[in-house]
Amino acid sequence: MSPILLIAGKETGELLLDLRGLAWLLAMTAVLSGFALLLVGDTELSLLDNAQVVYDMVGIVTAVGALLALVVGLDTIAGERERGSLVPLLLTPVARDGILLGKLGGVAVAWVVMYGLAVPYLWAVGSTGQNLAAGLLTLALLGTPVVLGFGFFGMGLGARLPMARTGLLIGLIALLLAASPLVLGPSLRQSAIGRAFDAVNPFSAAVNAYDAVIIDSQAITAQAANLVVTLVWLALALWFARAGVRRVARTSPCG
Amino acid sequence: MLIEIDKLRLRLGGAVILHDVRLSLGEGEIYGLLGPNGAGKSTTIAAALGLLAPDAGTVRVFGRDPRQEARTVHARLGALPEHGGFYDWMTGERYLGFFAALYGRRFSPSELRDRLARVDLVPRVGQTIGSYSRGMRQRLGLARALLVDPPLLILDEPTSGLDPRGRRDVHDILLGLAERGVGILLSTHLLDDVDRLCHRIGIIVEGRTVAEGNVADLLWVEGHDRRYRLRLAGEPPPAEVGHVAIVDRDGDWWTVDIDPAWPADATWRDLIAGGWRIAEIHREGGGLENLYLALTAGGTAA
Repeated sequence: MSPILLIAGKETGELLLDLRGLAWLLAMTAVLSGFALLLVGDTELSLLDNAQVVYDMVGIVTAVGALLALVVGLDTIAGERERGSLVPLLLTPVARDGILLGKLGGVAVAWVVMYGLAVPYLWAVGSTGQNLAAGLLTLALLGTPVVLGFGFFGMGLGARLPMARTGLLIGLIALLLAASPLVLGPSLRQSAIGRAFDAVNPFSAAVNAYDAVIIDSQAITAQAANLVVTLVWLALALWFARAGVRRVARTSPCG
Repeated sequence: MLIEIDKLRLRLGGAVILHDVRLSLGEGEIYGLLGPNGAGKSTTIAAALGLLAPDAGTVRVFGRDPRQEARTVHARLGALPEHGGFYDWMTGERYLGFFAALYGRRFSPSELRDRLARVDLVPRVGQTIGSYSRGMRQRLGLARALLVDPPLLILDEPTSGLDPRGRRDVHDILLGLAERGVGILLSTHLLDDVDRLCHRIGIIVEGRTVAEGNVADLLWVEGHDRRYRLRLAGEPPPAEVGHVAIVDRDGDWWTVDIDPAWPADATWRDLIAGGWRIAEIHREGGGLENLYLALTAGGTAA
């Protein structure tokens, strides 16, 4: 078996068989449960229409998925380094790029698992309307690069910073800033600063595409510009992770 | 030479950790790297493993630069890093199987159990590493280092966390490997490890090699192998023997230091010829410990 697949398999085990990974999945599922409950309640009270509820849920799944990917990405490098299990891996005859790809695979698996967990919640809030398929499709197409980008960003941070905790805090700040469109709402985004922020923010690009496809029923093929923004983010994050993993080394002097 | 390090200088985070480190390790040799905490032993090992880049000096493993040719070098060496961690959710067999596969090797379950048994590790069926004791983890790390029968082992505190029997088992394993030509570089604080295992040692103090060589030669040159207890049948004659100094007396037992420049057997001949009625000769213990303490005191080069 290829070393990349072996390492990706190991990372999957860390997520699905280790208590730490399972605890994170439990926390993310609890967050989705809470939001789904609120949205279902709003729908039943006719406060939100079905398209709006699916749009909100898809955005939340993207944010939660990005958070999980960030944590997993950080853990694959900084967490392993702190637990002492990274060095034995670096001392195998596997190329750094092979290790990187395996660990990227671990982040991708985390997103696949998160996506799978999100499907029942999307179905719960969207099955009564016509927007569920559009929601799942846009989430897969535009949410995936955003989420994976945060995972790769976490790996890059983990490779550069001496402590996983520092990387987590910086990553969370970046994630909260990027995901602010979900909180700020549409009016602020019409300002010049808001438009500029939207133009470069991958999260905004994904949310704009969700809005256009799920609420305005536009064709997904019309979202090429938004897709490009998310793919550029993914490419930059991948470069950041690759450069970090290639130079990863211990950063503290020792006996 | 399996490892050659010369004039190694290395900075970490702006601070110079290694100023001038040298060591060389040949086939079938066990080399002990000694030094106080923070002296730079693990940093030296990290440089030898290709994990850290030197600022100056040379590091060669199998005649190659371990950073530029990391994959080639790593394919032929086994390493047990300090504070090595494990995947707690895996079983020992699965862990070894994972690393074997990364080296392009495939072992059957019975071969994996055999690899564990070689280091006296017999976990319960299905027991995950998370429930291993510290000693079991240390043995598992050693099994991983030995996985591909490498010609070179680099071990950082290999007997740390082991009980006396476990340490003795590891000693026997390492001595057996050295007899088969495996070169072993080990960093340790335990002078008993050095005494039993090492053919040569290097002592690092504040990032500098202050002594390197054969243990017996170093003890001789540094004069820490020169204290003896003699049981005499009667008082020694009043005439002094120039290269012997009496340090202490306890009944029939006399403690003497002999001049490092003189071979011990010649000294005994001189004493007997001078009228000393020597009944027993014992070398004082702690020669290596005294040497280590003297060389590491104050951090000055010897």
